[in-house]
Amino acid sequence: MKETTVKGRLWILTNPAGKLYDDIDTDMIFHNRYLHITDVAEMGQYALDNLVGWKNFARKAQAGDVIMAGPNFGSGSSRQQAVDCFRALGINAVIAESFGAIYKRNAINSGLPIVTMPGLSKIAGEFATGDELAVDFATGEVVLNGEKRFQAEPFSGVQMDIYQAGDLFAYGESLGA
Amino acid sequence: MGETFAEKLLARKAGLAGVVPGQIVVVQPDKLLTHDNTAAISKKFYQIGVERVANPRINVIVLDHVTPAADEKYATNHQVIRQFAAEQGIEAFYDVGEGICHQVLPEKGHAWPGALIVGSDSHTPTHGAFGAFAAGIGRTEAAAVMATGNIWLRVPHSFRIVIRGAMPPRVTPKDLALHIIGDLRADGADYRSVEFAGETVRDMSVAGRMVLTNMVAEMGGKNGVIEPDDKTRAWLQGRVTHEYEEIHADPDASYERVIEYNVSGLAPQVAKPHTVDNVVPVTETAGIPIDQALIGTCTNGRVEDLAAAAEILRGRHIAPGVRLLVLPASREVLLQAVEQGLVSDLVAAGATLLNPGCGPCLGAHQGCMAPGETTISTANRNFKGRMGAKEAFIYLASPATVAASALTGAITDPREV
Repeated sequence: MKETTVKGRLWILTNPAGKLYDDIDTDMIFHNRYLHITDVAEMGQYALDNLVGWKNFARKAQAGDVIMAGPNFGSGSSRQQAVDCFRALGINAVIAESFGAIYKRNAINSGLPIVTMPGLSKIAGEFATGDELAVDFATGEVVLNGEKRFQAEPFSGVQMDIYQAGDLFAYGESLGA
Repeated sequence: MGETFAEKLLARKAGLAGVVPGQIVVVQPDKLLTHDNTAAISKKFYQIGVERVANPRINVIVLDHVTPAADEKYATNHQVIRQFAAEQGIEAFYDVGEGICHQVLPEKGHAWPGALIVGSDSHTPTHGAFGAFAAGIGRTEAAAVMATGNIWLRVPHSFRIVIRGAMPPRVTPKDLALHIIGDLRADGADYRSVEFAGETVRDMSVAGRMVLTNMVAEMGGKNGVIEPDDKTRAWLQGRVTHEYEEIHADPDASYERVIEYNVSGLAPQVAKPHTVDNVVPVTETAGIPIDQALIGTCTNGRVEDLAAAAEILRGRHIAPGVRLLVLPASREVLLQAVEQGLVSDLVAAGATLLNPGCGPCLGAHQGCMAPGETTISTANRNFKGRMGAKEAFIYLASPATVAASALTGAITDPREV
């Protein structure tokens, strides 16, 4: 069994106005100029480089970090590179108020932990980049700097099963498919 | 209690008596659509450790995103895909020049009422215009569908959007789609199945219906669907040669939301940079100078779209300093446009004709923008940097509005030219 609680340094994705970024689409996460790349390991260096104010994110991010964003994260294109670039960087979890429908499936199927946190925009001021965030995927509990507790949605059943297996392929093998 | 379209179709496909929204079902898609990303998907497929696709008859592969290849990297990806299709015995492989996957797939008979279609492209919901359940998926899933023939789906909640009234002159399904997205916002239909109904939809051509279902992706929808009728059946005749069973929502189905629109007073609409839900009537953007105009894409590259543009541009010429790019959605569309004289009309008016495909819509080639430039486009996305420079501006509109704007050199109300 994999650990269902992860801990990491927080990146809170804010827009130029300093507010939690809404509607971050897949072109901002992984721009179309890199679409010819098919090797996941090469994708990390371009993560978020088209998001205003976040051009150098990939150089600053470290394995184990946690990302936080506003509603409709990953809207737009179905490109899975927008998920894989975070896997390549070793991002521990992405927490958002909501996710684009295809992005959500892509993340679940490739084993990138994503956590939906309804109402996040209203309490975003509680969090700051550099904070330490612990996320319990099984209960949805989010703990800030070892003290303050918040509630997000726990993983769904299928999400936890795929996460535990590693990804959709490993999950399929575990079923004997 | 009756069933919505999505509930009824997914229950049948899963072999269950009934399903409820939120339920996870495992189903076998009738078709799996992939495009230039088949190169990456085939790589993932071989990682699984299986050698043969589960059922080559469900695979439909269309090269459209960067065609013909813009450089060696794209060319190599295309080469990998050709080899993959040949090795796997995939007959429904459409190479460079056939057109955009969302036009080619139905033209070649791979969409029908009651079909379950998944595709590794976010505009896969387009095929709901034929009464299919069609949804976009990612690469890992596409590889898994190739390997197993199965996919898990969460049964979506359903919206029913009822549209009434007659479209005013030079107001089109694109204007309606933009108006709805502006109203519901980019995540307004997140993971919802969106059913379009009402007299206006019944009166719409199949091409117009495809605009509505195509744009469902921009309101966050899982799929969009339009009930099949005689127009659908006539369009599919000769393309789909097997029997199919239509699936219609029950009249007493339960919807999360029922939303009504009346189009009789609708003005042409424009989505301003940099989001598709930033929608205003064209009158509010009139006079903004443009550098480039684009007519085409999976949203508006069909014969009636080219005809709407030709009707405005015939015998006239676009403004000096404006580049008008025209991309028919498919070879079939291009041929019809040639036969009807539309290509001559547009090229004589100053248009640059590009080959059927996605062209500059996703910013990889054939019309990328320089910093500070503005394009008005019939496409479905205007995200920052989508068509080249980040410091460039994309306005989305109907073919009539784009043609009128190319004519004057600034965003123009098509009712005034």
